[in-house]
Amino acid sequence: MIISRQKEFDDILQMLSEKNIFIIGCGKCAKKQHVGGEPEVIEMKRKLGAAGKNITGWTVLSSACSINSWNDILSQNPDIKMSDALLVLSCGGGVSVISGFAGLQVYPALDTESLGGVCCNEVVTEQCAICGDCTIWLYGGICPVIQCAKSLLNGPCGGAFEGKCEVDERLCAWDKIFERLKNLGKLENIENIHEPKDHIRKARVKKT
Amino acid sequence: MITAEISPPKGTDTSRMVRDATLLKDMADAVNVTDNQRAVMRMSPLAACSILQEKGFETIMHITCRDRNRLALQSDLIGAWALGIRNVLVMSGDHPSKGDHEGAKPVYDLDSVQLLGMIQKLNQGIDHSGKKLEGRTDFCPGAVTNTELGEAGLLKLRKKITMGASFLQTQAVFDVTRFSEFIEKTDEIRSKQSKQIKIIAGVIPIISERSALFLNKVPGIRVPDDMIKQIKDAKNPEIEGMKITADIIKELRTMCDGVHIMPIGNHENTGKLLEMAGLI
Repeated sequence: MIISRQKEFDDILQMLSEKNIFIIGCGKCAKKQHVGGEPEVIEMKRKLGAAGKNITGWTVLSSACSINSWNDILSQNPDIKMSDALLVLSCGGGVSVISGFAGLQVYPALDTESLGGVCCNEVVTEQCAICGDCTIWLYGGICPVIQCAKSLLNGPCGGAFEGKCEVDERLCAWDKIFERLKNLGKLENIENIHEPKDHIRKARVKKT
Repeated sequence: MITAEISPPKGTDTSRMVRDATLLKDMADAVNVTDNQRAVMRMSPLAACSILQEKGFETIMHITCRDRNRLALQSDLIGAWALGIRNVLVMSGDHPSKGDHEGAKPVYDLDSVQLLGMIQKLNQGIDHSGKKLEGRTDFCPGAVTNTELGEAGLLKLRKKITMGASFLQTQAVFDVTRFSEFIEKTDEIRSKQSKQIKIIAGVIPIISERSALFLNKVPGIRVPDDMIKQIKDAKNPEIEGMKITADIIKELRTMCDGVHIMPIGNHENTGKLLEMAGLI
């Protein structure tokens, strides 16, 4: 699941220079996190209306990042054609896909933070760094690239205090990795020296 | 061995830095030049070391993984060697969010273990991608360590020693008993890997209650509460701090190969401190 948070309303207002706005929500990750489902879209409509914007209409797509036919969306939501801009309550993926079809200015209402998931009804953030070179199994399923603030692959830095990361209140990822591997009986996974990441494996630069 | 920390200036005026280093002349075996310490932007340690080398100082250049990717790290290291810098101290580096450019992109392309490996390669005359160098380096590489290490921290320390760290500089020591436990642990690693490695214990003379409280906000440093109280209650906190530090140095001398002085402010009192500790 893509983890996003809503931008500050004042920042959204500052972004929107157009008057006639159509709002699009997302029925997948944004809905699950209560940042871009129907209730949030309706609340956004109310607040923008109160701030003097003309909301031409709204919809919540089943998935903002996965669109089969823009024409179908247009025929179901003819008000889009009467609008100067779209405000999309989805992750950057959804905003980007919609921008490719819309032919008009599209604004993001959310800031995309990380790739996470849901575990026993609790949203977990920063589970994957999308590095294109997955070695998470070596670390007991805890990715150091994203969960360690410094993406360290060979053990912790010296900054943690009483188990807390030097950056914020989060637990040191390396303590968690060590504990997990100990319980799995797999500490040998991290005994050897791990080489730096091969960044050419990211999607942008395909190795031929 | 005595080493002492020197901060490059925040700006182009190097006179204060040179003055500070001059206070250490004939006392310190080497000056240890920091790399944007606490993620606060300053002159590059490469330039600062070069200036100090020219004035006759032996330098140890700090090099962190925070601000440079593998290309930049290598070009700085090769450049440092060409300018006469022979010792480097490798570390991850405090996170940018702890410094004065909070929004800076944290790089950490390599970690300190991998950087030590890269230096081994440069010393062999090849770069990180295996290409032959026109002229190799022959650095004496060091690594840093906390003295209170959990199991994961010990794993990292073992790797640093495996990757050829010739010396270890510790974070500031305030608790000598804990330090001797640390030495026992490193002795174990050293004998297992049959590696020669020098240990230099870091010390910070505390000058006031305020400075102690500030230090406790620096990642990896912990000043014990009773020591803070002792400083607070003292008639002259600065002298009291020096006395405490001199006593710590006296005890550390028998346990390790050197001390590293990291003053708050400048080296005005370092000579006196070393005298009190019986080192000069």
